[in-house]
Amino acid sequence: MIEGERGLASRMLTPAELVWLLAAVAKGDRAAFERLYAATRAKLYGVVLRILRRADLADEVIQETYIKIWTSAGQYNPAIATPITWMVSIARNRAIDLIRKKSEVPIEEESDAMDVAAETPDPLAGREFSEELKRLLACMGKLDGERQRLVLLAYYSGWTREQLAAKFEKPVNTIKTWLRRSLAEIRECLGS
Amino acid sequence: MTFEDAYDSDESLAAEYVLGTLDADERARAQALIETNSAFAAQVQYWERRLGELHAMVEPVEPPAQTWANISARLDGTTQSEQFVLPRVDEPFDAAPLEDNVVYLSRQLRRWREGTLVAGALAAGLAGFIVISSTAPDLLPERLRPKPRVVEVVKTETLPKFVAVLQRDAASPAFILTIDIENRNLTVRRVSADAQAGKSYELWLVSDRFPAPRSLGVVGDSEFTIDNRLMAYDPATITTATYAVTLEPEGGSPTGAPTGDILWTGRLVQTLPGARSQRSP
Repeated sequence: MIEGERGLASRMLTPAELVWLLAAVAKGDRAAFERLYAATRAKLYGVVLRILRRADLADEVIQETYIKIWTSAGQYNPAIATPITWMVSIARNRAIDLIRKKSEVPIEEESDAMDVAAETPDPLAGREFSEELKRLLACMGKLDGERQRLVLLAYYSGWTREQLAAKFEKPVNTIKTWLRRSLAEIRECLGS
Repeated sequence: MTFEDAYDSDESLAAEYVLGTLDADERARAQALIETNSAFAAQVQYWERRLGELHAMVEPVEPPAQTWANISARLDGTTQSEQFVLPRVDEPFDAAPLEDNVVYLSRQLRRWREGTLVAGALAAGLAGFIVISSTAPDLLPERLRPKPRVVEVVKTETLPKFVAVLQRDAASPAFILTIDIENRNLTVRRVSADAQAGKSYELWLVSDRFPAPRSLGVVGDSEFTIDNRLMAYDPATITTATYAVTLEPEGGSPTGAPTGDILWTGRLVQTLPGARSQRSP
């Protein structure tokens, strides 16, 4: 990660470094927490902004996310998740819970969302993918194009089946079946 | 039967919960299951780990500068859960500013990677490193041999946590209670009970040790904690009681006893110590 990316993203530390920081944070080390924040804030903000599409909401969610990380760093278990996937999960769950309560938040602006969907397994220049990500993308690559877009759009945008149905111009039940089948196939391909 | 027929509906719920396609009620149901069903929680962890890798393709965006100040200000008054299970490692950070540190770290890490032993240890989340450095330090490259002893496993003691899901049927949890027995803290989260104008939901403790239900107070609009109400009860009473919610006049029952029908009930279950370890909020 560090060697593969420069500039902004170079502040992203390796998993082992983030584990150290989380360990220190769990002991109440504020300096470590500030480093953790500096290393991960742009990633987490990027993730939630994509879902929430409003800077004020994203700001609110990011604050809550880091408070949660501060208070529950002691529960982080490196055997179960990498630090960044753990933190991303906290942030995404907060963002999705919030947007489900705020139905007035616009869900259009598809151009941005579709940009993300376009970022399928393409060899993204200069990026260094983890082995886990490569494996996931290989498995997602076995889905047909529309299903790939469906899963990626769902993940990055946090859309409900109804919203996806409108986007893909399919009945909700079809979307439900597609999602279920796609996830089952991904799981089958990934193994445990 | 194809494999997807065998794909259990809870598995599907867990996967879609992580993917983010569930509506508010389904998410509440999934969150209740995470609290109470360790197999389900493990499914969620599986998908969070797997799909979480997709974050790599999201472009980082800088949050507003003010955000950190706000977070920092909010740290006061928070308490941390003390159950970190990682061994403490001699951290390679020094007092240098962050940017320098990162460069330093990346250089150092690159050097570390040259040793296959160490690369393996890093991949194993440091566990291997600890084992090697404590049992056979000579196997490590010079730089990594433990100077001071770095092995100090933080003693962990996981206090039991109790959760009750108040519901009428499995698909519709209405309230989730979390009880911290040691501090007698009770947290009530309303998940799918609609607010009723001019009415309040009131929480009751029902125990065969008492002739009548005991009020635990009115449930607020959002997550909140009642600090003291449970202080009057011993742990055995708390853990064996049934919890119930009734709809009462605004502000709670005027008589001190339930006046409305019991709408939701539930009993406490002890969550497995590990079950919540990776749970997201």
